[in-house]
Amino acid sequence: MKSNTKGRLFAFTGTTVAIVSFAFLAIEPAQARKPFTQDELAAQYKDLMATVKEGDDLWHSAKLGKNGLACANCHPDAAASNPHTFPKWQANLGQVIPLRDMINWCIQVPLEGQALDANSKEMKALEAYAFYMHRGFKLKPGENTKQHPPVEVRSGAGYP
Amino acid sequence: MTDFSKMNRREFLGITGKAGLATLVASAAGVSFGMVQVAEAAGNSRLTPFRFAILTDAHLYDIPDHKFDGILKKAVDDVNNMNPLPDFVVYLGDIGQSGKRTELEKGKRILSKLKVPLKVIPGEHDWYLDMGQAWRDLFGGPTWSFDHKGVHFIGMNSILVRDFWTMKGLTPDERMGFMEELECHHCGLWGVREEQLEWLKKDVKKLKPDTPVVVFTHSPLWDYYPRWNFQTEDAPQIREILSGFERVMAFHGHVHQVVYNRIGNLSSVGTLSTSWPWPYPGVELPFPDIKMNRVDPGDILDGLGTQYIDLEKEFAGALHYDTWADLLPEGVKKGVKL
Ligand code: HEC
Ligand SMILES: [Fe+2]
Ligand SMILES: [Fe+2]
Repeated sequence: MKSNTKGRLFAFTGTTVAIVSFAFLAIEPAQARKPFTQDELAAQYKDLMATVKEGDDLWHSAKLGKNGLACANCHPDAAASNPHTFPKWQANLGQVIPLRDMINWCIQVPLEGQALDANSKEMKALEAYAFYMHRGFKLKPGENTKQHPPVEVRSGAGYP
Repeated sequence: MTDFSKMNRREFLGITGKAGLATLVASAAGVSFGMVQVAEAAGNSRLTPFRFAILTDAHLYDIPDHKFDGILKKAVDDVNNMNPLPDFVVYLGDIGQSGKRTELEKGKRILSKLKVPLKVIPGEHDWYLDMGQAWRDLFGGPTWSFDHKGVHFIGMNSILVRDFWTMKGLTPDERMGFMEELECHHCGLWGVREEQLEWLKKDVKKLKPDTPVVVFTHSPLWDYYPRWNFQTEDAPQIREILSGFERVMAFHGHVHQVVYNRIGNLSSVGTLSTSWPWPYPGVELPFPDIKMNRVDPGDILDGLGTQYIDLEKEFAGALHYDTWADLLPEGVKKGVKL
């Protein structure tokens, strides 16, 4: 996670320097951040998958609520959670909301639990799982007319 | 409660005999029947029209006054207030959520308020904590058949998986925990397995091909969506064994949704739960018009319901989904033809 953020900052300053030096007649080519190495990419991916796994575990856990239910009772493989259609107007809240607000709504209503802090590790993990189970889907913010099945899962958890 | 399995089969044959005669009279009076159907009537195989109801998938938790307790009670009240009253109710599995005896006992207590007889088959949620011990103690054998007003009814246990726990050294709780997940990664496909296939062969052997046959299983008798065990691995063998009958009606639980299919002589209908609805998987429905609307998650009764089947004397009829919210498209509201 940390190296990831640093990497992004690096790339940013690199670009700025590049533009500035170009404006002042580039004498020596400014060096943008080098592309991530295979090792770095693998480490980032591992981090992401760990977050997705954490989300998967939470999604299947009764501990988010008080009545024994888990998200997966009603959303197997994250079906019908439609993360790629957010933000959108949500009838039960009567306003436009991001995915995390709908996750919290489902924690409070079907699960009869306590809303999570929107920036908590748990919320990030739940979002990561929902999105990863819809990888490759076109973004359709606002779409409220359809319920989508997730990516096709043949075996295993649905992610590596 | 009447135990149908102990009923005298001749009683029913007596009744159907009369129905058969009535049909012959009807055909003589100008109603057109194919040769086969007239032969059917002569063979005493037609039925006396009646209704039966289906309740399923209550998923009761071992938590006092859980919201699903109230929904099952409401469903029982609804059935008791049906007019006409069904002759009996069949419960298609998943009474409990985690296979606990206390869950199953709670279910039995609530279901005992039904004014009509009850037959039950198990679901995966009832079974894998103690391999069906508590379920058997409370509800008897999971494989049965009985005859009623000319119809042969069959119930089977379709949730048998191959042993995935011994090698992994899982505890009963862990095994149940795996089975509780619809998308279980380790559990494999369900089926009725060899013993029940043999039983089925014997059970239907003496029946005439024109006998009306109705089959109940927890999971569908066709490959709908294996990932969620919306299937029965040996359904092809079951369909083969029943292929000699003119018509077979199959009803299943587990999918918590409106779904219909027809394969050869067999029609298969999915049923609504009294716990939660399931979204449709990412496959095309064989009959895309027979489905339910999207559910409002703010209404705990939306997506749920009971169902009743009215059988007519030619062994036709319709399944009616009885819902508490506006769940059904117009076409489905009128009933699903079987
Ligand atoms: C008792 C059933 C139930 C449980 C448990 C449940 N939900 Fe839902 N949820 C629904 C239903 C029904 C919908 C509406 C589906 C639709 O739009 O067709 C829904 C909708 C959603 C949506 C919005 C989909 C959209 O397009 O509007 C998200 C996101 C969501 N749920 C996440 C969750 C999460 C996360 C949990 C666990 C904390 C959870 N749900 C638990 C029943 C449930
Ligand atoms: Fe179920
Ligand atoms: Fe089930």
